[in-house]
Amino acid sequence: MKNIISSVAAISVIYTVLIFLIAWYAHHRKETGRSIISNPVVYSLSLGVYCTSWTFFGSVGKAATTGIDFLLIYLGPSLTAFSWLFLLRRIIKISKEHNITSIADFLSQRYGKSPWLGALVTIIAFLGIMPYIALQLKAVSTSFFLLSGVEKGPIEFVKLGSTTTIPIALLLALILALFSIIFGARRLVSSERHEGLIAAVAFESIVKLVALLAVGVFVTYGLFDGFIDIFDRLRVINPEKFSQLFTFNTSKSDPNYISTFTLLFLSMGAVMLLPRQFHVMVIENSDERHISTAMWLFPAYLFLINLFVMPIAIGGILTTGGSSGADYFVLSLPQLSGHRSIALLAFLGGFSAAAGMVMVESIAISTMLLNHIFMPVIVRLTPRTWFPVLLINLKRFGIVLVVLLGYFYYRMIGDSYTLVNMGLISFSAATQFMPAMLGGLYWNRGNKAGAISGILFGFLVWLYTLLLPTFSKSGWIPESVLTNGPFGITLLKPTELFGLTGMDLWSHSLFWSMLFNISSYIICSILLTQNEQERDQVHKFIGVFSRDEAQRRTERKRLSKPMTTDQLVTLMSKFIGEAEARKSLELYSKGRDITGNGSVSEFELPDLKRFTEKTLAGSVGGAAARAIVNNFLSDIGSSMEPVYDIFSDVRTNLDQNRESLFVRLKASEIITRTLDLQVIMDDLLRLLVMEFKFDIALIITKNDAGTFSVSSIQGENIQAINMPHWYLENVPILYLVYHDKKAHFINDLRLDHAVATLGQTSAEGFISCAHIPIYREGEPVIAVLSLFSKSIAGLFTKEFIELLSSLAGQLAQAITIVQEIEAKQRERSQKEAALLQTARITRDMEIAQQIQKSFLPDSAPVIAGIDIAGRCISAAHVGGDYYDFFLRSDQIIDIVIADVSGHSVGAALVMSEVRTLLKSEANSVRSPSSILETLNNQLYDDLTRAELFITMFYAKYDSETGVLSYSNAGHNHPILQRTHEPLSLELDTEGLIVGVEKDVFFEECSVKLSTGDILFFYTDGLTEACNSEGDMFDTAGVYNHLKVCMQLSADEILDSFYAKIHDFTGIQNLQDDISMVVVKIL
Amino acid sequence: MKRLFIKIINSMQLPESWIIFFILGIIMMTFPFLDIFNKPVLLFGVPLLFLYLTAGWMISIIVIYLFMLASRHENKNTDEKNDV
Repeated sequence: MKNIISSVAAISVIYTVLIFLIAWYAHHRKETGRSIISNPVVYSLSLGVYCTSWTFFGSVGKAATTGIDFLLIYLGPSLTAFSWLFLLRRIIKISKEHNITSIADFLSQRYGKSPWLGALVTIIAFLGIMPYIALQLKAVSTSFFLLSGVEKGPIEFVKLGSTTTIPIALLLALILALFSIIFGARRLVSSERHEGLIAAVAFESIVKLVALLAVGVFVTYGLFDGFIDIFDRLRVINPEKFSQLFTFNTSKSDPNYISTFTLLFLSMGAVMLLPRQFHVMVIENSDERHISTAMWLFPAYLFLINLFVMPIAIGGILTTGGSSGADYFVLSLPQLSGHRSIALLAFLGGFSAAAGMVMVESIAISTMLLNHIFMPVIVRLTPRTWFPVLLINLKRFGIVLVVLLGYFYYRMIGDSYTLVNMGLISFSAATQFMPAMLGGLYWNRGNKAGAISGILFGFLVWLYTLLLPTFSKSGWIPESVLTNGPFGITLLKPTELFGLTGMDLWSHSLFWSMLFNISSYIICSILLTQNEQERDQVHKFIGVFSRDEAQRRTERKRLSKPMTTDQLVTLMSKFIGEAEARKSLELYSKGRDITGNGSVSEFELPDLKRFTEKTLAGSVGGAAARAIVNNFLSDIGSSMEPVYDIFSDVRTNLDQNRESLFVRLKASEIITRTLDLQVIMDDLLRLLVMEFKFDIALIITKNDAGTFSVSSIQGENIQAINMPHWYLENVPILYLVYHDKKAHFINDLRLDHAVATLGQTSAEGFISCAHIPIYREGEPVIAVLSLFSKSIAGLFTKEFIELLSSLAGQLAQAITIVQEIEAKQRERSQKEAALLQTARITRDMEIAQQIQKSFLPDSAPVIAGIDIAGRCISAAHVGGDYYDFFLRSDQIIDIVIADVSGHSVGAALVMSEVRTLLKSEANSVRSPSSILETLNNQLYDDLTRAELFITMFYAKYDSETGVLSYSNAGHNHPILQRTHEPLSLELDTEGLIVGVEKDVFFEECSVKLSTGDILFFYTDGLTEACNSEGDMFDTAGVYNHLKVCMQLSADEILDSFYAKIHDFTGIQNLQDDISMVVVKIL
Repeated sequence: MKRLFIKIINSMQLPESWIIFFILGIIMMTFPFLDIFNKPVLLFGVPLLFLYLTAGWMISIIVIYLFMLASRHENKNTDEKNDV
């Protein structure tokens, strides 16, 4: 016995490995681009998943009990196949266009992407398929018991000393669930075809066909002598059974064809509406053209697989003498006749049939569960990075749930139903989708309310009239409910609802459920109107073959805010993983107007939104995808607005401008509010952080040494960032920005190439950043605006960068203006200082002039025998002229004329010193030379220190003697004009200028003057006075004029000279003071 | 013979013809026809109803197959026309 178990197990394992290899090969072929699945024969074979262990075991069972009507289950699909060219083709075309993932998705999308409808269909499919899965588990586990000869019961596992018992059906359920996960839920994208799964299913279809044919041939030609022999034997041995089996409804005296019709109708619907059929037929279809082959190949497959069912059934009856255990004739006949290998083949066939069905069914249903039950909840949560992991595990969980639910139903119902009857419950449930499906495809008015109410009522009736009785038969619900109706109300008896009797269970349920279903669908559709979203979808579904550009245009909507493909990739990554997201986008963006940096042209956006919805729909279903994308769009502050083309342009621009206008306005407010650059920068960054949710905003400046320093920083939670180490790695980018004056941005640091360069930045949690040059057009970059975001990848769209750049430009403008203003201020203050300085100097000069003036004698002293006069004509600025008279006695007068170099207060002071010294000499009777010597020695230090010197002519006149003694220290030679000599005489002696050298010897000369002689002392201002031509007055001029006016008095001579100089220089101001002293001997 | 066959098939190349076959199939599976064959007798040693159903099924499959061939033939023709 153990032997048999292990050999059965071994063969199962080998078979399993074979299936895996095939699946792997198919997957490998697909990866290399040479799909073996994309083939009409494989497609047709995969449709053979319709034939489950129900067909394999149950058909024979039904054939042996009720007879030929088992064929109707396969005739129905064959009839449906006639319609495929228009019906299935349309469904496939729509599904491909909308990336539909399941029948629930299909119905939900058709009726306005209604999430409720999707959920309802999912629940119906989930519950409705429960008996069907149970059927498979029952069939395979029973066949296993039969083959191995083990009594029904758990298998004992001895492991680690303890004994664990696992029911074989549970073990089988878990194995099948595992299969399904491996084949169908390795990846999330469920609209993608599962090549491995389909290859396995197609192979299993071959195995079950071969197995059943083998058993059929064995029974028909091995145990018996062909068809005719078998039929004949039955007719002879059991004519009553013969007529029962080979006619419809012969058990009833009045033959009606209601149950015939019911079976036909149920199977016609089921072949397309069962979730797994829809899955292999529509979702896994790789090419529409495969339909035309499947249209005859699939019926042919059904024909072949059923060809020997009747002979096997009769063979079983003939061999065992009855139809008990007829469900397993396929297995028991070879086994009883001792052909173990054929029995094993039959077991494999049955296992194949069950495995294929459970796999596809559970995958299809778990996709529906994920998309229509779990997703609507999940989309309300904030997307997280672990979402893809959660989603794929939810899908796996769904698979296990579906299989386990089937298992529990099997445990509950157990053996109270035959295989076929269990399957028909599921068929009946799937049929509830038919009105909404057909109406959805061909009836414009069919609406969401109708679909939901129809399906819901049909489902409730199904639940009440079909599923409930199965529970009561297994003792779950009191038998009285079934026999007397609930609360004793016979009208509500589940099997004879409203008193409808004389019908079999299926026909009864079908009638009532379809009545409620179809009528409420039609009534609601007629009475209620469709909303916009529904109408949109109706056009897409019903007009699928005639959609033209005009229709497209009406659905063209605009996004009010630009997005980038990066943003969409980020969004999609959250649900399907980044690699998948990138791949699908790459495929999409081929040949479209999408630039490398991910910004998208405005016209592309609606399409891109549709594409994103479609891609997500492939994983999460249409309704959820729509919710996700809409949530996302409203999150980034925009949503699709149903505005038509001609208006949308204006509107879009307005919306865009309104937003950027606000920021620009704020920015210019900030900039004009103050001239404090630091405040401007801080406020502007704060504005950016607030408005655009940056985490950090910096203004970084490069100083002359080429190192970068942060001029301003704003952001939330700055302290949390390890500043000094962190931003420095952006320096190469900053150099680049300085160099090319362009904004550089990274929209997703998490991508490999970005992480390589900005490890610390991304380690701080930033996912996007931008560096924008702050500069004025045509001028070098002043600083860089650096922005970092932790939350939004793909933030930096073309438009956004443009906005930021323009703000940076504004800032640059502000900086320049502030700098200009500062420069002007500096200049002004410099000027003011200069003016002040000049004023101070002028004032100095004035003081000096006044001092100087005050030194000069107010009037000449009166002394007998001479007429003496002195005058100083002041120039525009102070000179160092000095003349003085000292009366030594009544007869002796000292005349001094001097010129201090320089025109300053200093010169004036020196002069005052000279004056003081000379005054102190007043009473001493010293010669001019000794006075000069003394003066020179006393002033030398002061003069040297002040870098000044003095020219001086000192004369002493004794009016008694008429002798003039004089000494000169480098001064202009005074002129002596004698009356009796025409020539003028220059008085000169040797001597150095005062203050040049110490201990200078001054020569002293003397001259005797006579009456009429004129002595003329002057300073260099006179001879150096210039006229407008630049000619100097010169000594010659002095001589000439002196001769002219020598007859005049001393005062008059001075006046005459004054007038002469005035004439000579014209309006020109004098360059230097002119001092003149005239002494006329009387 | 073959030409006639093609001619018949071509003249039937209408979308409606599929609906006709579909409806015809359903009619064949409903009460009047079934009642005719719903008799426990043997024809050629095979039960009448079984023979009716299997033969009808087989014929329908062959019919679809032939139509598929024809339509593929026609598609090829139109493709060629399009190419020209």
